[in-house]
Amino acid sequence: MVRMARPRLRFARPRPGILGKAHLGAAVLAGNSAAYASKLAGKGTGASIRGKVMMTLDRRALDKLLADRRVAAVSGTNGKTTTTHLLTAALRAFVADPDEVVTNADGANLHHGIASALASQPEATIAILETDERVVPSIIAIGAPEVLVLLNFSRDQLDRNHEIKSLGKAWRTALADAGDLGPVVVATACDPLVVWSAEPARRVIWVDTKDPWTQDATLCPACGEVLGRQDGRWSCPSGDLAQPQADYTLDGTTVTDPVNSRWPLELQVPGRFNLANAACAFAAARVMGVPATAALEGMKTVRAPSGRYAVGTFNGVQGRLLLAKNPAGWAESLLLATTDPMVLAVNAAAADGRDMSWLWDVDFEQLRDRHVICTGPRAQDLAVRLDYAGVEHTVVPDLLEAFADPRLRKVEGPVDVISTYTPFQKLRKLGGLA
Amino acid sequence: MSTTRIVLVYQSLLGIYGDRGNSVVLAERLRRRGMDAEIIVVEPGDRVPDDGHVYLLGGGEDMAQISAVRALQKDGNLFRGLDKGAVLFAVCAGYQILGKSFTVGDNDEVFQGLGLLDVTTRRGPRRAVGEVLHAWTKPDGTTTLITGFENHGGHTTLGSGATPLAHVQRGVGNSGDGTEGAVQGKIIGTYPHGPVLVRNPELADHLLELALGVELEPLSMPSVDRLRAERIAAVKAG
Repeated sequence: MVRMARPRLRFARPRPGILGKAHLGAAVLAGNSAAYASKLAGKGTGASIRGKVMMTLDRRALDKLLADRRVAAVSGTNGKTTTTHLLTAALRAFVADPDEVVTNADGANLHHGIASALASQPEATIAILETDERVVPSIIAIGAPEVLVLLNFSRDQLDRNHEIKSLGKAWRTALADAGDLGPVVVATACDPLVVWSAEPARRVIWVDTKDPWTQDATLCPACGEVLGRQDGRWSCPSGDLAQPQADYTLDGTTVTDPVNSRWPLELQVPGRFNLANAACAFAAARVMGVPATAALEGMKTVRAPSGRYAVGTFNGVQGRLLLAKNPAGWAESLLLATTDPMVLAVNAAAADGRDMSWLWDVDFEQLRDRHVICTGPRAQDLAVRLDYAGVEHTVVPDLLEAFADPRLRKVEGPVDVISTYTPFQKLRKLGGLA
Repeated sequence: MSTTRIVLVYQSLLGIYGDRGNSVVLAERLRRRGMDAEIIVVEPGDRVPDDGHVYLLGGGEDMAQISAVRALQKDGNLFRGLDKGAVLFAVCAGYQILGKSFTVGDNDEVFQGLGLLDVTTRRGPRRAVGEVLHAWTKPDGTTTLITGFENHGGHTTLGSGATPLAHVQRGVGNSGDGTEGAVQGKIIGTYPHGPVLVRNPELADHLLELALGVELEPLSMPSVDRLRAERIAAVKAG
């Protein structure tokens, strides 16, 4: 018999009383006007401001906004936004009215952004929440999610997250504390740190995504021994941890589920890693009771989550935007970017990570037969990397000016543009995509 | 002249800040002068060669430090290589493990280092994170700036056997005492990533000259000069 995840017994969470709801209502109103003012001032969507004002006026705003909803949280270093969009689409394909599902589609994934999204749809009964790795423990504690998706863990913004393992430690504690009332975790079996982090959960649905990135998983997270790898599977020589048997397995574009049914993934978002994201979203949707066919139909509709893979026009040139935030993300994005020339945009603002040494963990040598236009405030750091890699390049720090290069007009179809976080957001605006 | 062997030691343990870049810089700077260079990447479980010219260690997490110390002691060839006159250049976590002892984990457990540098590392009052500028006096007596990015929780104190590599202009350095890095014979430890040799070609050439016992011809790389100027100006502007 195959064990499928059973829905958890609902337990009585403290619900906001009339006074509590009134308090929250006032906070939401104040938040809305702050967000409106911020938007008028041209400072983005105002999502974080709305949440900040709400949570300042009502300390328990987020708890109240999460109460009485079915919650799924999606986290991991790479793929959070796309997976959240895929899971949301899967749920919306199943429920009677798409407005029953609320999500933080814009990627504002800290407490304030999540509160803001929830407040915008008070009637929605299901919340699919992209959740920053650092926020996961508190969402487990106050949001009692029924599903938590853990995608992967790799080095990212080390100036802020000094040790990726300490994030995993906090997840373990939160899952252990939640005990039988904790979420069903949908987790990638290929990533040792994810497996170690998810281990204390009451139930884990393991997904084998065949993730080829192993550079951040040399040591056993439990004991520090060097992990062994055989036939594409990893294990600790001391026996502390090994790659778990998968419930869902991705093979090419097909997912096999726990009862050995095979489902084809037809996606509009490109790349191997998005197939992995979709396999996890599919498993999570099934845990939430969405039939396989509805989940697949829904996921098919996702095209450009928060501007990723969107095609915009920059200085008269069409460009396809790819976001890459860390070495693992760059490894995947470089496989997708095939045009010659291509544009690479980099910066080191707080949201990009202020240390650019990651450039040297990316295999830019693979671009040797192509021309690269380096742009963004830290284009020169990239230029030196490419110089040492023997890749022909031009440096144009201004984002729009970079697209004035006459060589770009000869490219058939959109030019591939890979960007770190802050230039990516600027490019979305410049290209009329946000 | 024979091929210069640059040994990148335990890249997957001590290399999370792009530290492999240091090996690329050393090898390329030789090749662009028409000299042969080979990068030997040694992973845990592999034997460290005992005939390297330059050995490199980089940044990593706590458990990786302990694992690297154990593996290097068991292997022994790094010590043999140094006895034969090789240069050892270590950055951040790699620098810390060369010392007498260092601390790891939430409880500041003390571990013995490799004892190659007369330095001791303990957790500092707050983590040092950010762009740095250090004044480095080169062997010829002239002074140049080291630019890079430091990110370390440990504070390092030098004993009488080691001398500071440089003096801090911006950033924390070893421990906030105005010194940065340590030198003892042909062993050099320092905190900045960048990777540090990318932004500091004179330091890279110094290591090569120390290892090969020759004076190298100047090598022009305008892209590197521009990057150096840009980073130094940015840090000075604050």
